[in-house]
This record gives sequence, C-alpha cells and structure tokens, in this order.
Amino acid sequence: MKSLDPRVARLPQVADTKAKTALDQFGTFEVFVQAKEGKPFQHEGCVHAPNLEMAYILAKEAFTRRFTCVSLYVVDTQDVSASPTTEGNQNVYSLIDDVKDGPDKKWYEVYHLTKRGKQHVHAGSLEAGSPGGAFSKAKSLWGADKVIYNVWVAERGKIRFTTPEEQDLWNTLPEKKFRDASDYKGGEKLKNFLDAKSK
Amino acid sequence: MNNDALKELLYKMADDLLILGHRNSEWTGLGPLLEEDIAFSSMAQDKIGQSYALYQILHDLGEQAPDTIAFTRNASQFHNCQLVELPNQEYDFSLVRHFLFDTADFLRWELLTQSSYEPLALLAKKIKGELRYHTLHANTWVKQLGSATTESIARLQHSLEQALPYALGIFEESPFEKEIISTRLFAGEEELKKQWLQKINEVLIQTQLRVPDISTLTPITGGRSGHHSEHLTLLLNEMGEVFRIDPTAEW
Repeated sequence: MKSLDPRVARLPQVADTKAKTALDQFGTFEVFVQAKEGKPFQHEGCVHAPNLEMAYILAKEAFTRRFTCVSLYVVDTQDVSASPTTEGNQNVYSLIDDVKDGPDKKWYEVYHLTKRGKQHVHAGSLEAGSPGGAFSKAKSLWGADKVIYNVWVAERGKIRFTTPEEQDLWNTLPEKKFRDASDYKGGEKLKNFLDAKSK
Repeated sequence: MNNDALKELLYKMADDLLILGHRNSEWTGLGPLLEEDIAFSSMAQDKIGQSYALYQILHDLGEQAPDTIAFTRNASQFHNCQLVELPNQEYDFSLVRHFLFDTADFLRWELLTQSSYEPLALLAKKIKGELRYHTLHANTWVKQLGSATTESIARLQHSLEQALPYALGIFEESPFEKEIISTRLFAGEEELKKQWLQKINEVLIQTQLRVPDISTLTPITGGRSGHHSEHLTLLLNEMGEVFRIDPTAEW
C-alpha cells in the first residue's frame, strides 16, 4: 500500500530515473512585525503564499492575532540577501568585502542578528546599487559597533508594507485577550469542579 | 427617535454577524491552508464579537442579555438575511459569500460612522480596522483565484452565480426605511446596495469572472422578517446546544 505520509511519499521510487519534479508548494515570504510605535521591526518567521499580497493577508493573522502590535510587512524570501553567520566574538562584518558599487542607487533595509537564536531586527536603511553594495555600505555604517552574527538586506521596493490607512488593522487587538491561553483560568475551574464533586 | 426602527436595524445587523460568524467558524481546523485556517477563524471570531457589541446595545435599550438573545430564539425570530445561513459547501462558496457579505458590511459600517445614534457611530469607528482586514482578505483571495486556473475561475464563477441572488437579499428594506433615513440613523439599504454594486464590480473587473446582469436576478428575501431556509434551524440547534444544557456554563 502506498504510504499517505508526505515524508515517505515524496521519496523517489527506486526504479524511477526521471528528473526530479518541482514540489507543488508555495514559496516562502519573510514576515516582520513592529510591536510598538517607534520600535524597530523584527523578523518573526515566514509564511507560505502564492504571491506577495497573499503573503501579507495570511501573515497578518498568523503572526499578529494575539500580542499587541502596530505594523507588519512581508517580503519574498528570495528578495532577502543574507551574509554568512559567525559565532563567539567574530563580527560578521569582518567577513564582508568592500565592493565598488554601481551608480543606479536604490533603498535597502538592513537587519542585524545580535544574538544567536534570536530574531533579526531592523538596523536601518541605506542607498546602494546592489545587495552586495548594501552589505558593503552597512559595514561602513555599523561594522565598528557591537558584534553582529548575521546581516540581511532587502530592497525596499520589494517589500509589501502596511499603508498609512491600514494602520488601524490592529486597533481592537488589545481587547482580544481571550485569544491568549493565559486568559483561561482552567486550573481554577478544575479545582472548583473537583471541590464541588467531592462534597 | 423611534426605538422600533433602531432595534430593527440593530437586530438584523447583529443576527447577520452572529450567524455568519458561526458558519465561518465551522471551517476552523479544516481550512485549505494553515494560515488561511487561522485567518478565517479570526475573522469569524471578530464577527461574533461585533454581534455581541450590537446585542449589548440592544440590551442597554431594554432587550434581554446577549447570550439569551443569541441562544434562545427560534429561527423565525432571527432577522439575518438568508445568505449568511446557507451551509458552507466547498471553500469557493464560503469565500465568495465572505466577499459579497463583507463588502456590504464594510460599507454599512462606514455609512454608520455618520449615524445620528451615537453608540452605533462610535462602534463603527472602533471596528473599522477589523472590517478593513476582512475586505482586504476577501478581495485578495477573489482576485487571486478569479484569475488563477481554469478550475479556480470556474468554481468561483459557479459560486458567484449561486450566491448573488441571496446577496441581493442583504438589502431587503425595513418597514421603517423612510424613518431610518430621515432621522439620519442610517443612509438606507438602497444607498448601500448602490455602493456595494460599485465596490464588488471594482474587484471583479480585475478577475476573469463574469458578473451577471444584476437587474435580471430576483433577490432572495424574507430573512429580515423571519423567513428562513431549513439550514438556520439546524445551525441554531447546534449553536445553542451547550446553553440549553447548562445556561450558566462558562468556557
């Protein structure tokens, strides 16, 4: 019988020598959330979606249906360039070469990983002619600061931001505490139930 | 202001939201994608929250408590349009209903931000962001599936044709329509329908879906005066089950 487990079903058949076909799956999009006005955007994870706009609407509930926040944006994973990753006291900027950048400048958003196991946080914006140029410029701006373990850059024009009129999407979120597990005093109810039962 | 006119408006809005909120919540755990399952469930929860706020206003006007109103009435005492009580069927139908209803709902609340009845105007302003997301979600899906594959276009087209006569039933007029408009409680169903047609066309024109000539369709009405399909009774039996067993139950 053919297994229904996708991890098994996805394996190639032994006698099958055909070229591997692409998986019938969506691409991924990186999701960044701003917890409070004035705070930097932080990477929260990714969503699968067929395109950028679908990624935005799916990310909105997948990542911001609980804890209060004020804004969110998404970008195709393939539009994010990542540096190598370092450990210990090695600053990743020491591995980044200075490149001679092209003349056609665009805005890039830059993200830093300041602690292994944590999330990337928005460090700032800069103008560059290519992702490589953006890394190089980021190094000149922030390379001498504290140790950074990984850097991402993403072209601003590729990002699906929350528009000014969409800022009200999260207005009623603080009132939805019932979405948090902590809002359910299950232990107390169980105790009352057991007490009532034992009487 | 005539309280009967106000209550009629509040009841039909609250009942639409409660019944559709419950229907949409039936997708929880069964949605086509994990993220979509979460999004659709959140919006269902929003709708039930909005209906609760309206039942609370009714309670302040002397009606019974929200839970009593929600869980103890018979189908013939509900004022929701028939569109919202129809079974979910496949996801394409649920999406098309979500698009048609939520577009009207967004516009209704937008008009109500100008209502002469302050509690309603305040609530309209408060929930604007929720409604904005609901329509953004609906429009994005309809644009996506309405132009994706032969199957997705055919499915949406079929659901659109099935749902439209019911959607026109959203705008069934109230016996107090003139008064509702003259006292600036609400701009009225005719105005709402005009704005709705424009909005749904703006979205559908960006897809490969064909919009049938609306003037040839017969609206399916009766819901506003308590005439419903058999589906509503089944839904109410399920929704009120726990309350009927134990009215004091909390969870």
